[in-house]
Amino acid sequence: MQTKLQSIKSGGMLTGVLKWAGAIAVPIAVFAVFLLCQGVNPIETYANMITSTFGNSYGRGEVIIKSAPFILIAAATCLSSKAGLVNVGGEGQFALGALFSTAAAMFLVKDAPAVIGIAVMALAGIAGGMIWGGIAVGLKVKANMNETITTVILNYIAYELVSFMVYGPLKDPDSFNWPQTPEISEQLQLPSIVSGVNAGIIIAVIFAVAVWYVTKKTRWGYKLKVIGSNPLAAVHAGYNVGKTQVIAMLISGGMSGLAGMLEIAGVEMRLRQTTGSNYGYLGFLAAWMAWNNPLAAIITAFIMGFLFISGNVLEMSSGLPSSTVRILMSIVLLAILWKGKGDKK
Amino acid sequence: MMIETLLSGAIGSGTSVLYAINGEIFSERVGVINLGMEGCMIVGALAAYAGAYAAGNPWIGVLCAMAAGGVIAAMHAYLVISRKSNQLATGLTLMFFGLGIAAFFGRNYVSASVTGFQKIPVPLLSSIPIIGNALFNQDALTYLSYFLTPALWLLLFRTKFGMRLRGTGEDENVVYAYGVNPTVMRYIGVIAGGMLSAVGGAQLSIAYTHTWIEGMTSGRGVVAVALVVLAGWSPSKALIGAYIFGGAQALQTILQQQGVNISPFLLLMLPYVFTLVALFVASRRQKQSMPAELKKVIESSSG
Repeated sequence: MQTKLQSIKSGGMLTGVLKWAGAIAVPIAVFAVFLLCQGVNPIETYANMITSTFGNSYGRGEVIIKSAPFILIAAATCLSSKAGLVNVGGEGQFALGALFSTAAAMFLVKDAPAVIGIAVMALAGIAGGMIWGGIAVGLKVKANMNETITTVILNYIAYELVSFMVYGPLKDPDSFNWPQTPEISEQLQLPSIVSGVNAGIIIAVIFAVAVWYVTKKTRWGYKLKVIGSNPLAAVHAGYNVGKTQVIAMLISGGMSGLAGMLEIAGVEMRLRQTTGSNYGYLGFLAAWMAWNNPLAAIITAFIMGFLFISGNVLEMSSGLPSSTVRILMSIVLLAILWKGKGDKK
Repeated sequence: MMIETLLSGAIGSGTSVLYAINGEIFSERVGVINLGMEGCMIVGALAAYAGAYAAGNPWIGVLCAMAAGGVIAAMHAYLVISRKSNQLATGLTLMFFGLGIAAFFGRNYVSASVTGFQKIPVPLLSSIPIIGNALFNQDALTYLSYFLTPALWLLLFRTKFGMRLRGTGEDENVVYAYGVNPTVMRYIGVIAGGMLSAVGGAQLSIAYTHTWIEGMTSGRGVVAVALVVLAGWSPSKALIGAYIFGGAQALQTILQQQGVNISPFLLLMLPYVFTLVALFVASRRQKQSMPAELKKVIESSSG
């Protein structure tokens, strides 16, 4: 009896390991075949991807800078998911955060001292993300509209809104007709800490840890968990489900909005149509890869950052279009979805 | 004149969404929500373009689109049905995958020109004032959608096969008791749905716009998933949402051509805003008509 149990257990572990190995090896192999079909040497490409990102301090810095918004958005996604909300709106919430903070930098705090100016920008960014998340959760609570669908549609609206602004009211008059805002004042730009990396990554990690702490260790976190996993029980326990979901979504949207602000103040310094394009989706998928565990999401978001940056390398060294890395990313994600949560059943 | 152009544009632009709504209805009727419809549509749009380019015949393009959309939908079916993966995350990944694949292989077709579907005016009918031109001076895929929509309704609601499909989405135990394998029905519903959406993509690329542009579906697949709610999961009402969306798209083009001084981006926002408003209006009755298995998915979708 005992040996039988043990053998089952070790067998389970073995298949678990094999499945993980498969989930990692299969996408690498599939993508290698894909590259071969395109007449590109996969081994050289993989080597290039790694050396150009981790092989020098510039590449490492780029990966870290890119990971920061992914971590924040992923942590935001984790938080709302605990309350039973599938928030795919990180993209739009990020965009609104970037838009609001840019507008604040242009009109409110252009000449303000750094501390006040950056704080106002951050608040504006958070407010922008909250408004966008708030619309979605409001429609859910008041009109029972599925938040997954509304958040995706709001992403498209946000994109058009940003386009309107950078072509219209916020356009830089000196930009020779490029659709972009003027650069934000120098004192509002986040300083680099080491080799071009700003404080964004630290803020992102702090937020991810905070989300983990709040959801795991506090009473409110417990409430979220009950609401997310068993809404009926939550109602019986006398929890105000709607109100809690609204709060969770506002915080989640605010975090994505803050990511937008950090991108403006720390990386891009100005708003463009393409600012943060796809960040929201990648952050969402990073959260899913981590099964909505905010600490694990730090790692998965980092992987996303690596893939994102190494995609540029693919473009430059192998002449492949930038869409190539999207294919690699989705193959990795499909493999993880295929593997499933497995051992937690 | 402007009304005519608007109606004509509403139908021309809404048809791709109509196919996608019908496709998503099939998927959701068997209890599977497929956010990857966007992916099915975009690979459909490209495959149709490439097929029509290679064969010189738009119908070959449609077949290629169905095959490509079917493959994406089959991946969704395998992952969510056989591997029990999360439906929303899988759909989103496949949307991403489809957009990436289409952008990659579409590079060579950006400046290629193909023999697509031309507008064929129906004699007499097309000269009816106001609506004649809009309804009866369209491409073959749009005409097909006029017949397909009632046919799909009949299939779903008036045949044994349709009953089994819907039964799978309501309570798979009952279907099982009747000796039908619900897993097989799910695969059929999801894959057929993906193929339909891909035809919508084909309509967009080789019948309506006659061009291939990266990301040209611009959220139509996602909007279709939303508009299924407005349609109450029935093809009979799919037309409403599709043509409202199409109308908003057409309005944008018309206002721009008229030289109305509004930013094109605000107009581009319209179709999405309309979709949200339409959903809001429809929200009162969405619970009762939602397939029960789907309700389970929606309610347990987060981890």
